[in-house]
This record gives sequence, C-alpha cells and structure tokens, in this order.
Amino acid sequence: MIHVYGIVDELDSLPPLAGVDDAPLERRRVGGLELVVSRLSGRASSEIPRDAVLRHAEVVEQLMSRSRAVLPAQFGPDFGDEDELAAAVRTRSRELERGLSRVRGCVEFGLRALGEPERAEAGPAASSGAEYMRDRLAEAQRRDRLLAEVHEPLARLSRATAVSAGASGSRFTGAYLVPAENVASFREAVLRVESTHPELTIVCTGPWPPYSFAGDREDEA
Amino acid sequence: MSVDERHVLQQHQVTLLELVDRVLNGGVVLSGDITLSVADVDLVYVGLRVLVSSVATLEEQRELALEGALR
Repeated sequence: MIHVYGIVDELDSLPPLAGVDDAPLERRRVGGLELVVSRLSGRASSEIPRDAVLRHAEVVEQLMSRSRAVLPAQFGPDFGDEDELAAAVRTRSRELERGLSRVRGCVEFGLRALGEPERAEAGPAASSGAEYMRDRLAEAQRRDRLLAEVHEPLARLSRATAVSAGASGSRFTGAYLVPAENVASFREAVLRVESTHPELTIVCTGPWPPYSFAGDREDEA
Repeated sequence: MSVDERHVLQQHQVTLLELVDRVLNGGVVLSGDITLSVADVDLVYVGLRVLVSSVATLEEQRELALEGALR
C-alpha cells in the first residue's frame, strides 16, 4: 500500500522524519507533478489511527516549510500500487495544478463563532403564519449582518474562503486562505471582530497547511 | 494545575481537534475509493461545546480569585 501526504511544488529536500508506520518518506514524480509518499507494509496501517493521523499532519506541516506550495492529501484511502497512484494523479493533473497555484504563498486560518442567537423578544412562540414569517425574516437578517460584520473583513484579506453559516449549531464556521503578507493584518482583523462582538466566542486557529482549499470546493474571495 | 495551565491545555485540545478535522475532512482526495470518512460529523463542534463552557467556568473562577486577592 502507498500512503500519500501531499503534492508539492519545488520541494527543497525531504523532512528528516519518518512517515506513517515509521516508513521512510519518498518522492514520486507523476507527469509534471511531484508527490510525497511512504509505503505501508501490510494491507492497512498497523499504527492506531490517531498516531497515523498525527504523523500525516506532521509530515504535511514540515513539507510546508520546505517547498513553494503544498496541496495536502486527505488522510487515506491508500493506493494498492504505483500504477494505481499514477493513474489517479494523471486523471486529476489539471485540477491539481490549479490547486497548487491557488495555495502558493498562502496559509489557512480557521474561524468559529459560537454563541446563542440573540432573540428579538422573548415572547411566546409565533401564533400566526405572519408572525412566523416575520421571525424567520428577522433571523435571516441577523445571519446576514453576522456574515457582513464577521466574515467580510476577513474575506477581504484572503485569496479564497470556505464558509458554512450555522453549521452544526455554531453560528458560523469559516476557513480563510491568507497570503503570507496579510497574516499580521488578518490576526488584527480577528481581534477587532472579537472586540466588536463580545456576545460571540471567536475561536481562530492557524496558520495551517491549506487543507480546506486543496479541492475544487471553495468560493474565490 | 493552575487556571493558566488549564487554559493552555484547553487551547492544545482545540488545536488538536481542528487538526484532526482538517486531516480527515480536508485535503485533496486522489482516489474515489474512500475507506475512511467522517465527512458529515463536525468533530470540532462536538469538542468545542464542551470546551467553551468549561473555559467560561474557568474565567469566572479567575475573576473570583482576583477579587479575593484585591480585597
């Protein structure tokens, strides 16, 4: 089995650490793309998933500091052999090249805004259709305002964003692809959002390798 | 463990959750044959809900301790 860590652009040298299952890291070139992989001895990894996931993340992190761009691979599934891997990369080569140029020179920041939605009034539940519609409209307006005040100042400093409003009960979850030269202003913008919205708990993490911008899923900022 | 130490520990836990979420749910998928997927589970939110409430509790405790020290 072959485990893929990511696609790299102008990698200086392999980082001095072993991959999943302590297997040595290897470089592979498929067409115009270069990958960093390692071999897994058995059918599946013998490391418990948590350690394997952390090792994968550590390798990707180190590749970030040694190359011009890294497109991180999702952890698993692994490839049966070299041919299978080469075929998979060839069919996606144009998309992968686009991905590499999108993330070049950028890091990712994650942001979560948590907090109870403010209620216009603590009255009884809507008793008529009109009241129900009015409540729904007010909720939509609150959401739009939150996006305008929290997301937009950060999106202006980003090359691309991936946002889900209200996902899984948090008010707002966003990923931001931030050019290196904007990192300091991005952090300041997060602090400003935090101080202007004391009702929200803002959790900002990063810089990360661009995991949320590796596929063709996000919206351009 | 002091309040500060616990705060640092919680920051580590948040970072770890965010990391695992990215590695498992993010990244480019090269093969269509997905054997491991937690794509519909927001691991981080589940963890954060617990963490945020305990951070709030810690802040309260810290304020109480400060008030006590200033008196």
